[in-house]
Amino acid sequence: MEDIESLKKEIEKLKDSNAVKSDLISISAHQLRTSLSALKWILKMFLDKDLGAMSAEQEGFIKKASDSNDRMIALVNDMLTLSHAEDTALSFKFSPTDVIKLAEQTLFEFSGESQKKQISIIFLKPDHQVPNIQCDPEMIRVVFQNLTENAIKYSEAGDKVVISIKEGEGSLEISVHDNGIGIDKKEQDQIFGKFFRAENAKTKDAIGSGLGLFTIKKIIEHHKGKIWFESTRETGTTFFVSLPTNK
Amino acid sequence: MSKILIIEDDPFLQGLEASKLTKDGYDILVASSGDEAMTKINEPGINLILLDLVLPNFDGFQILEKIRSTDTIKTLPVIVFSNLSEAKDTKRAQELGATDFMVKSNFTLDELVDRIKMIIK
Repeated sequence: MEDIESLKKEIEKLKDSNAVKSDLISISAHQLRTSLSALKWILKMFLDKDLGAMSAEQEGFIKKASDSNDRMIALVNDMLTLSHAEDTALSFKFSPTDVIKLAEQTLFEFSGESQKKQISIIFLKPDHQVPNIQCDPEMIRVVFQNLTENAIKYSEAGDKVVISIKEGEGSLEISVHDNGIGIDKKEQDQIFGKFFRAENAKTKDAIGSGLGLFTIKKIIEHHKGKIWFESTRETGTTFFVSLPTNK
Repeated sequence: MSKILIIEDDPFLQGLEASKLTKDGYDILVASSGDEAMTKINEPGINLILLDLVLPNFDGFQILEKIRSTDTIKTLPVIVFSNLSEAKDTKRAQELGATDFMVKSNFTLDELVDRIKMIIK
């Protein structure tokens, strides 16, 4: 009995120190973002010539500074998500969730961006009711966001991004397909690595932090699910996620 | 001319937001703290409120709650414009009746203006 009591105390201590860590990250991120916002807006004013004309050289440097600042913002965003995802399973808030509805809500957030980039988002959902699954809806939302954002980011105008959800045996199968730049075969085994970015991804979009796929893999593993992909360079990529329905 | 109340305690960000919105033809009113905001929300003629969340005295959630429970201003559009982004914060703002929630560092001021134009046509 004493062992159980002392274990309980240890768990409480860990929970407390975890809460302190989360608060610290949350406050630091807020403060960092305040400075990064100011920089972002000022650099944009320079680039828009609101503050007067610049030489080509000056403009080139300001553009580099602006890209660098955007990379920092992306890093702060991903660190916040990762901090949440890396918390112990104790802090995941599992509840019965309608994943179809969750996907629809998340995809709605991308309607503006996909229109701007002239990319159609197609959502294929089952024609029958699927069971609610036990998951942390906020974290599964991050998974949808991340996969959809990547699919849009690495596609061209006129391309399609297809998100599909279907019921498997004891699982819900989610896939996100694009006709984008694809992942080179020799880099495929590193794609879920922390801070890893494929060469062609860096060329296409300079901003990513390389934490997105690492984070969502952790989230899926916390849900006892699986994530994998199929990809061909210059042809496209499909990410698959399988979440257990009977956890 | 539409009138916007900017509630923002960081003087530098407040200045940038105010100068952008003035340049785009909006009439601007500013509040730099929670208690100043609690008074200014009642000024006549405001068409939209831009609301930061982390503020001295009263925070943005309390101000939003006050707006939504005051008959004369309860339907005013409120864009929460904050650098907080955790689910608990966005959820609370949504439940309290925020019209929109934008994370400052993820948007340029042009994008903010586009969003304002969509809300107050």
